[in-house]
Amino acid sequence: MELIIATLTNLLILSSMYILVALGFAFLFSMLGILNLAHGVIYMLGGYIGLTLITALGLNQWLALLLTTLIVATFGIFLEKYCFRPFVGDFNRIVMICVVITVVLQTGVNIIAGTQILSLPPFAEGIFKIGPASVSYERIVTFAIGAVLLLAVTWFVNRTKWGQQMQAISQDLEGAYLQGINVHRISALATFIGCGLAAIAGCLMGAYLCLGPFMGDFMLVKVLMLTIIAGVGSIGGIFIAGLILGSLDSVLPLLVSGAASNATAIAILVVLLLIRPQGFFGHEVEL
Amino acid sequence: MLLEINGLTKYFGGLAAVRDFDMHIDEGELLGLIGPNGAGKTTIFNLTTGIYGPTKGKIAFDGKDIVGKKSHEIARLGIGRTFQLNPLFGNFTVLQNVSTSFHLHPRSSLLDIYFNTANYRRNEAYISEQSLEILKLVGLDKVKDELAKNLPHGYQKMLGIARALAVKPKLLLLDEPIAGMNPSEIDFTLTAIRKMQQQGITILLVEHNMKILDLCERVVVIDFGQKIAEGSPKDVRENKEVIRAYFGGERVA
Amino acid sequence: MNRRLSTRGRRELTKPAVYAGLVVIVALLPLFFGSPYIQHMLILTFIYIIAAVSFRTIVISGQFPLAHAAFMGIGAYLAAMASKWLGLSPWITIPLSALVTAGIGMLIGYPFSRLRALYYAMGSLFFGIGVIQIIYAGGSWTGGYSGLTGIPALLPGTISKIPYYYFFLGLALVSIIALYRIEFSRIGTNLKAIAQSHVVASSVGINESGYRILAVGVGCFFVGLAGAGYTHYNMVLSCSSFNFMATLWLVMYVLIGGINSFAGPIIGTIILIIIPEFFRDLKMFSPFVTAAILGIVVYLMPQGLVSLPQMVRSRLTERRNTKKVSHAS
Repeated sequence: MELIIATLTNLLILSSMYILVALGFAFLFSMLGILNLAHGVIYMLGGYIGLTLITALGLNQWLALLLTTLIVATFGIFLEKYCFRPFVGDFNRIVMICVVITVVLQTGVNIIAGTQILSLPPFAEGIFKIGPASVSYERIVTFAIGAVLLLAVTWFVNRTKWGQQMQAISQDLEGAYLQGINVHRISALATFIGCGLAAIAGCLMGAYLCLGPFMGDFMLVKVLMLTIIAGVGSIGGIFIAGLILGSLDSVLPLLVSGAASNATAIAILVVLLLIRPQGFFGHEVEL
Repeated sequence: MLLEINGLTKYFGGLAAVRDFDMHIDEGELLGLIGPNGAGKTTIFNLTTGIYGPTKGKIAFDGKDIVGKKSHEIARLGIGRTFQLNPLFGNFTVLQNVSTSFHLHPRSSLLDIYFNTANYRRNEAYISEQSLEILKLVGLDKVKDELAKNLPHGYQKMLGIARALAVKPKLLLLDEPIAGMNPSEIDFTLTAIRKMQQQGITILLVEHNMKILDLCERVVVIDFGQKIAEGSPKDVRENKEVIRAYFGGERVA
Repeated sequence: MNRRLSTRGRRELTKPAVYAGLVVIVALLPLFFGSPYIQHMLILTFIYIIAAVSFRTIVISGQFPLAHAAFMGIGAYLAAMASKWLGLSPWITIPLSALVTAGIGMLIGYPFSRLRALYYAMGSLFFGIGVIQIIYAGGSWTGGYSGLTGIPALLPGTISKIPYYYFFLGLALVSIIALYRIEFSRIGTNLKAIAQSHVVASSVGINESGYRILAVGVGCFFVGLAGAGYTHYNMVLSCSSFNFMATLWLVMYVLIGGINSFAGPIIGTIILIIIPEFFRDLKMFSPFVTAAILGIVVYLMPQGLVSLPQMVRSRLTERRNTKKVSHAS
């Protein structure tokens, strides 16, 4: 019973965090074709800024979370303007600039914080009991934040004017220009939201698991898997793919031990991709 | 009979692009396949050249069943084709476009390539020479070193035909060869098509432009994926069904 | 017209001479740099040049593989295991594991040739990650997380790096020439045709999936060769040399040099391995040097470093022309 509950909550938390980070990545990719390989380090940056604000400045945790989100999201606007926008349509240079961002941020964090594994203080303490089952408040809070944010983003994309403009751009960039949509402003907004979400996920995961300079690489791989399994251009697909990935990552280690469980997860994903060469909900993309 | 199509049907989702279509082409013939936009002409081309497989029906080329064969295998059997939107190898020169398509004929082994043997160089020289011949036929030999993407539209269309000819086809499928051309280019293209036919190549032409009818010996008309008429250009022009398909309803060719 | 022809004729003659000269200079380098560390870096450069050039061979077929370092790892681990556990001589394991790597590549390439563009890139990325996880899970056979040690040396008994230097220089030359011949032959033309339009390519009889698999096979053969050579030179293997980041760095070598030119990967590898070495004193800060090189190329040279001479030339003629104009006025 303990194990089932622990696995289930772990599944929900991992899935919601993967989806949070992947959404920001998917916004940029489906709108402007930017393969943002730096999204992983932005997630890492969020965790470290959160930690710095809490430990070095002694801020309240929730305030720190909010500030981190704003700082990283603003940094996202800067990235969009100076690093992504000049190279839209040039896949090779986008990949290169993302590696530059990754190297700079990772080295910077390495120099300032060192390579040791750190972690944020938990966002909630105590254990919630119902009958024989018990769940830590931290897990509940983490998942709740994730779920609320996901609902909010879904609402934003589907119900607001800006969200609908984002969808229009991802369907037809030129058409959107001709319709008078301010593509630059919308893509800046999408990057703002995407980086903000990644930063929140970084803080939450930094408290739930741990912080390390290379945690971004791990998350980047997850995000790429998620986007591809979902199929490019599908927001709904990301939710399903996120659940698939989260369950593989939380359930498989119980069945298969060690590195073999990672290998199994990858094998399952590769087979899924070969069955549906365009992902489950996506369309073909030219590089 | 060079090409025989029987009961060909293709569904895209629930929509029938081609339904129970029968057609045959005799050796040496110049056959026109015409019909309004969206009638299913290009779908028939794509089915014949193996870009996608039919839902139902038979296609036989030279007595052999070609359903289920891949595009490149069908090309090797001797069916060359051009494309309506005419994609080219844009970053290749005009000559390279043709010589790349020529690769079926003399073959060089991997070792020949590694060591750049006399055999390999001889084959390549032969291919260049033959490609130039084909370019002369379609009048592109003067621009052989230009990049294909820099050519004007009419030249690109001719290059598409030249590339299909390099496969040494028995049957040539031309998808709207004169679309978007100016009158003098049209005249030149029509002359070139006649010349190819005289050289013994069987040609199937797709057009929705009724003007090209006079060139053909026999015309098949389709609408909504089904054959509605067949016969000499004169018969077809007077056929009521055809007139209704083209002039009745909402659109005019 | 006449002048252009004559310069072209002269270039035809001078080109091979320039290349031969370059090879001679590279062959003489150990005379000037006695330090084993510098020689070690040059040997690594040769190995990564093979990997980067073979990466590009797959790229010209319109496929962007993100498993190339993993294939290098397959070659490396196969050679290591064959010599350590089966006792085969390195002279046999190197060609053998290159062949097996090519075989694995083609076997994987077959289902993957269904995937296009981004999906191919990502599918191969997952495959590469899977390979690393399998090696981790391999226990004592592969050394798992702690890596494999005690691998037999290619040239036992030599402490000097110079014999290795000439071995890898030769290996790199043979590979570069072979890949050059492939790219500029009919095979290479067909690969480039497929990359430009696979529909048109099949309509003229080019076997699309066949050639795509062939390209993967050739690329994997040479990267396997590089990996196996590296194994018997380094004698210690660690999985992290072949993970996703390693692939990404290989991609950087190719992109920074210029992916549209055969010389691009060679130049890119040399620049990205050698230049940061000058800044070794910066220690923790030295990755910034690499980032700076990449940044300069991204912002200033859209076609990579190979376009640098041409850019300088056009800038100069531009300046000359503007001078002329100002004189005239």
